[in-house]
Amino acid sequence: MTIACPNCKSTNVPGTIFCVECGAQLLHSDTLVTQNISTAQVHEALASHPNQPQVSPQVDVTAWASLHLIDTGHMLPLVDRNEFTLGRITEGQPIMPDIDLSAYQAYASGVSRLHAILKRIGPHVIIMDLGAANGTYLNGKRLSPNVEQSINHGDIISLGKLKIQILLKS
Amino acid sequence: MPKQQDDYYDILGVLRDASQEEIKRAYIQSAQRLHPDKNTVAGETELFLEAQQAYEVLSNPSRRAKYDATLPKEVDAPSIIQHEALVSRPSLVRLRESQVIYVHLELAPRAQSEQIPAPPLNVCLVLDRSTSMKDEKMDIVKSATIQIMKSLRGQDVFSVVAFSDKAEVIIPSTLHLDYKKMEALIHLIQPFGATEIYHGLETGLAEIRRNMEPSRVNHLILLTDGHTYGDELASLQLAETAAVQGIGMSCMGIGNDWNDIFLDALASHTGGNCAYIAKPKDIQRLLLNKFKSLADVFADDVILDFKPQPGVNINYAFRLTPDGGPVTIEDSIHLGPILQDTPLTILFEFLIEPSAVQNESVTLLDGSLRPSITARPNPVPPIRLRITRDVRADAASEPPPGKILSSLSRLTLYRMQERARVESEQGNYDSAAKHLKNLATHLLSQGERHLASTVLFEAENIKKIHTLSEEGSKQIKYGTRALLMAGSKEKVK
Repeated sequence: MTIACPNCKSTNVPGTIFCVECGAQLLHSDTLVTQNISTAQVHEALASHPNQPQVSPQVDVTAWASLHLIDTGHMLPLVDRNEFTLGRITEGQPIMPDIDLSAYQAYASGVSRLHAILKRIGPHVIIMDLGAANGTYLNGKRLSPNVEQSINHGDIISLGKLKIQILLKS
Repeated sequence: MPKQQDDYYDILGVLRDASQEEIKRAYIQSAQRLHPDKNTVAGETELFLEAQQAYEVLSNPSRRAKYDATLPKEVDAPSIIQHEALVSRPSLVRLRESQVIYVHLELAPRAQSEQIPAPPLNVCLVLDRSTSMKDEKMDIVKSATIQIMKSLRGQDVFSVVAFSDKAEVIIPSTLHLDYKKMEALIHLIQPFGATEIYHGLETGLAEIRRNMEPSRVNHLILLTDGHTYGDELASLQLAETAAVQGIGMSCMGIGNDWNDIFLDALASHTGGNCAYIAKPKDIQRLLLNKFKSLADVFADDVILDFKPQPGVNINYAFRLTPDGGPVTIEDSIHLGPILQDTPLTILFEFLIEPSAVQNESVTLLDGSLRPSITARPNPVPPIRLRITRDVRADAASEPPPGKILSSLSRLTLYRMQERARVESEQGNYDSAAKHLKNLATHLLSQGERHLASTVLFEAENIKKIHTLSEEGSKQIKYGTRALLMAGSKEKVK
């Protein structure tokens, strides 16, 4: 029952989540999502209310903002916390973004593993590029890395080429 | 705040099913805080008498039973602190080998609870004035101290002790400082002698005790740049005594030539933390931040008491917020403070032995959390904490909660450097170098190039000269710790 590390083959005590030898994650990659963001519910809601592009209240009244992935039409509500890192997960990587965008062509669009951070500070929402290789754009303008920039409802941010519209809950 | 009918259990701050031992300990602690010989605030003698009366009744089993019969049924009054405990797995597995399971504990002020005002401080700055501090470091420490004095509020008590192989009270513990005079005294501090931390701590604690009040945040801040020799054990005992009396301790190590493992242990006994100041110019900023967070305290310490469970061991515990740092595992664990705007988060690793999983379920933790809320003289009733897991034949496939996964991913890096350091001290140089290289790989993949190159450099050092540099090992330790905190709460601006 000991767990063999897929990366370095060393054995770990059952229940271990990250290999004590090399730090690789020991679980399968389908469980790598760190934030439980159920998109299925949102799709249903979208299907039943075609005229309401925003998240319908029954889905998540607690969301303070939603990410609208323009290319695929997916909607990701932001709940529980005031801060989310955006990026994509790769296997064996110990630091993970709160929101994994790999399911939305993140790799092909040039999204970094830790690309940007979205924060809610009081009534304001800000975005900050975390030094991502392909940059973060706000309404087409490239942001300087590690500088906070406040954003408004309907703004479009691009992580590399991945376009996301920010829908804020007023 | 209006005093409701506190029952004897509330007065002592124990649960109704507390053992005689726990009642006795709670009474002794109250007595230490409130005894007429010690207390200074009007009304505390009355509180002491109440505690005494409560103890007289509860310590006598037959009187306690009679008293219990008169009490209304226990209602679970919502505590002014809310807590959440997440566990990495829904169940344990019946195995013939040991297994681990993780618990993520978070404590925060309840949103609509009573407004607690910013507590007054009783802080002593204990400054290293040994020869090595001379010139730049000493000058910066002096100007930082003066700036702190200016930022004090009318209700704050402040004192300064300087030490080398002797300790000297520079500013005695006072409520209203005469700034001009004090400023002159600070300027007069001259560096000389060797570093002996024990003397500094002893004198500093004595200053704090002169104005010791449960309603204040009683805290000692130690600033040093050197190793102390031979008085480590005695210093740790001072910290333990201070912790029991409700005095917190933080340490700040300047430069590279100080014993981080010792200072971490010292602070950790009281639930405090230890910071690394790489460059003297950062002293001022970090010291001011420390003061800000002390004035922002909601509960200055939370103590976890628990009954040891057979076959269940707490292997490791680390505080993720508000200030990251190792947590010393002892009978009463000092977890650290809760700030008004920052929760207290701790990650525990439990090691479960095969003997424990023979039953249907395993109690991981059975105990209580005792927050000490500075602005309230009566103890806050403890919060019961009981975490159990069923034992199954097969492992559950459910993924661990996101909070555990993300904090553990970062903690894993921190522990890799810890391990490499231990291995290098034990002479396992190859293994230490291998772990450092693995660590560097992870850091590189996250874009932490600078830290990664320091790690690689040290990995080479170990191979060539069989030792880690003081500078490198501190940079790696506090660098990986900073990554942990950046991920857990606020991004470093």
